[in-house]
Amino acid sequence: MTRFAFQNVGVFDLSWSKAFDKWTFGIVTKPFEDQYFTDSLYLSFKIAIGTAALTLGLLIPTAIWVHLRVPKARVLVEFMTVLPYVIPAIALVAGIVVIKPHARWFLNSDLSLIPFYTVLALPFTYRAIDSGLRAIELRTLVDASRNLGAGWMRTMSKVIVPNLRSAIISATFLTVAVALGEFTIANVLLKQTFPPFINEYRMREPRAGYALAVLSLLFTIFIFGLLSVALRSPSTKSHQNSPKSRELS
Amino acid sequence: MGNSHNLPPETEGAVAQAAVPSLVPKRVQTNRARPNMAWIGLVPFFAFLTLFLFIPAFSVFSQAVRGADGKFTLGPLREGISGQNLEAFKFSIKFSAGAAFVGVLFGTLLAYAAVITKRPKWLRSLIASFSGVAANMGGLTLAFAFVSLLGRQGVLTKILAALGWDLYSGNFGLGEIPGLITVYSYFNIPLMVLVTIPAIDGLRSSWREACANLGGTTWTYWRRIGLPVLAPSIMGGFLLLFTNSFSAFATARVLTDNSKIVPLRIGFFLGGDLSVGEDSIGYSLAAWMIIVMAVCMWLYWILRRRAEKWQS
Amino acid sequence: MTSISFRGIRKTFGSTVALEALDLELQPGELVSLLGPSGCGKTTALRIAAGFEIPDNGIVSLGDNDITRTSAHRRNMGMVFQSYSLFPNLTVAQNVEFGLRNRKVEKVKRNSRVGEMLELVQLSDLGKRYPHQLSGGQQQRVALARALAVQPEVLLLDEPLSALDAKVRATLRDEIRRIQTELKTTTLFVTHDQDEALAISDRIGVMSNGRLEQLGTPEDVYLRPASPFVARFVGSINELPNVNGSGQILVRPEDVTISVDENELTMRGTVTRVTFQGPVTIISVRVDVVDQLINVHAASGSVHTEVGDRVSVAVAPGRGIIEAA
Repeated sequence: MTRFAFQNVGVFDLSWSKAFDKWTFGIVTKPFEDQYFTDSLYLSFKIAIGTAALTLGLLIPTAIWVHLRVPKARVLVEFMTVLPYVIPAIALVAGIVVIKPHARWFLNSDLSLIPFYTVLALPFTYRAIDSGLRAIELRTLVDASRNLGAGWMRTMSKVIVPNLRSAIISATFLTVAVALGEFTIANVLLKQTFPPFINEYRMREPRAGYALAVLSLLFTIFIFGLLSVALRSPSTKSHQNSPKSRELS
Repeated sequence: MGNSHNLPPETEGAVAQAAVPSLVPKRVQTNRARPNMAWIGLVPFFAFLTLFLFIPAFSVFSQAVRGADGKFTLGPLREGISGQNLEAFKFSIKFSAGAAFVGVLFGTLLAYAAVITKRPKWLRSLIASFSGVAANMGGLTLAFAFVSLLGRQGVLTKILAALGWDLYSGNFGLGEIPGLITVYSYFNIPLMVLVTIPAIDGLRSSWREACANLGGTTWTYWRRIGLPVLAPSIMGGFLLLFTNSFSAFATARVLTDNSKIVPLRIGFFLGGDLSVGEDSIGYSLAAWMIIVMAVCMWLYWILRRRAEKWQS
Repeated sequence: MTSISFRGIRKTFGSTVALEALDLELQPGELVSLLGPSGCGKTTALRIAAGFEIPDNGIVSLGDNDITRTSAHRRNMGMVFQSYSLFPNLTVAQNVEFGLRNRKVEKVKRNSRVGEMLELVQLSDLGKRYPHQLSGGQQQRVALARALAVQPEVLLLDEPLSALDAKVRATLRDEIRRIQTELKTTTLFVTHDQDEALAISDRIGVMSNGRLEQLGTPEDVYLRPASPFVARFVGSINELPNVNGSGQILVRPEDVTISVDENELTMRGTVTRVTFQGPVTIISVRVDVVDQLINVHAASGSVHTEVGDRVSVAVAPGRGIIEAA
């Protein structure tokens, strides 16, 4: 199984050269008709959202905890968020291969990609959230909120999270980007997410496959154009006038 | 998936203020016992990392010191950096350094242009956001797109040929070093831009003016102040690009089967016939790769600390 | 010792007029402060002097030379910025000698000059430290030493004390004055803090909206404000209706007389608060005719009143400035 996974990626072969002579519009729409197209895309999105959710759910409380309760842990935690760089995808994959026989029950699920993608995205998602927390006076806001009678849940949802809006948007978009574009791990775990689909499709229908790749690239660019607009809108620059009193009423 | 590891997009604003390592906690802990208890809150985080990062990583090492008989041996580790494998490491390091250098050069210039261009105002955030995208795009899709555009039969290649420029007349090939470096630059340059913009932002205008006031020219400024202050960040960026290029897998796999590229080599060993002992080499290569990355990130860490000290 | 002058300086940024037509001349060796709220043009004027901005119209002269278009690095002026202007990658000593190196002064002379300067600002032991290891006040002293090391013809200070703690501010302020008088350097000092300006200036230029409202000694500006703006900006002010004409009279609290007698020249009012402040007592009076609150500063012990007393207040003869309605 492992061998199959690694040999799956074909290398560009000169014999396709003639096929590129004719480009028609049909090439662009062809992939959409493929039976696996929607399934793989859907799976990728599901995983993307799951990854974003896990990332935010794990990192926001952790970052807040570090800021408020264990400042001494800050350096250690920051260091740990850099570690995924030390263990790049290919090495992680090698490790997963070792574990596979022991964790088949877990790795069989498609959703098992989620925690791994969270790890891959960790360096920058943590940094984004941490920066967002630094930019607001976290301690002061929390103290004021608690002082006015709000419990932790309320403080989190009404005071902290709204002020982290741009950091959260940033982290989410980038997590989604990683999840949608990641190939190596998905391939070794034999998950039919979008990138493996593109890869496999390209081997069946070369011209259409390449067209699809370009399309999805353009689509990613478009989505991020939206991101930059979203980050520029005035509502996300709410750090200065945190509407705390309003939120708590 | 070559560029899945991308540094924090250090999006506008937050990072220059970000990590100042000497921040003193605002409250003095009067109760001795409390700090210890509070660490419990970090258990979910540590547990998560242990499960999904440390254990796989550890497994790599444990497999790398396992001989054919299953017993502990340093053999595979030694073999992992000898002979052909050593050649592969040397090649990969040189290649990654080259790719990183190109990325640093253009990335720094682009970052500088983004920062000093005041008009139009949206240009800078456009560059920053676009860099965020490009640095995080899946390596596979990127490689495919490149092939379809600049491959031997690619659309752009044909257009250029029609305009008189035959891309493939010389030694050029996407699978060759220059071609690979070109493709890698498409996620390296944006990554450098992202990391360098905050650093250039941190160059205070008062330094520039003070320098002029004291009789220094633009050249004096860059030579004695600007570049020295930027140096840690630029070198850090270089390390980042280096690790990024070194570990790129999917991108490389699409474009070439050059077994001197270490990630590809690992793929070959781990995906080939699992004959006796051969997969240990694969793990040993992966282990050595982790070690190389660890050294790089350690250097990066030191440089970041230095850069922050000066720009606070 | 050189003079520096601005003649007809005008500067706009887009549609905003930062300076309308500034005429100002600094005599050799004097310290002139430009005082005003933010946006009044004082910093722009300073930056034009330094060469960081080119005026749209007008001439800047150093002595007899027109330097309006001379580039900043050739002007031989020393400048101290508000904050963070020390080069972070150089030690204190290297910072201070920076200008000397640019002028190709040789090492031996440089070192002795650096030593002199550090002694002048009382930081002789800190030559090998880096800026981030210094406090704000120390950093500004180094900035001052650095600016003076090259013996500039003019010293320019851009709100150098604004970013410092109150205590440090007062000490450093006096030091700057001491050093400036000792070296007889012509100095232009920009600030929004009137206490600073009043304390150390030979003359003060009060600015508002790109215009020089008044240029005079601290006493002139305080005791004889030339316009309502100056009266309000410098020191505290009361506004009373002008009983002898239209509009209002702006009068300082210490220029209001208070007594229990009544005559047709005074206004009646009720005491609302008495605050003892040592040498001076502040008596707040609600004046009947306009139902306005004014503050009167009286030497303690000279007037005995209590809350609720009926009193008469009047503008001391010859004091106050009339503001047209």
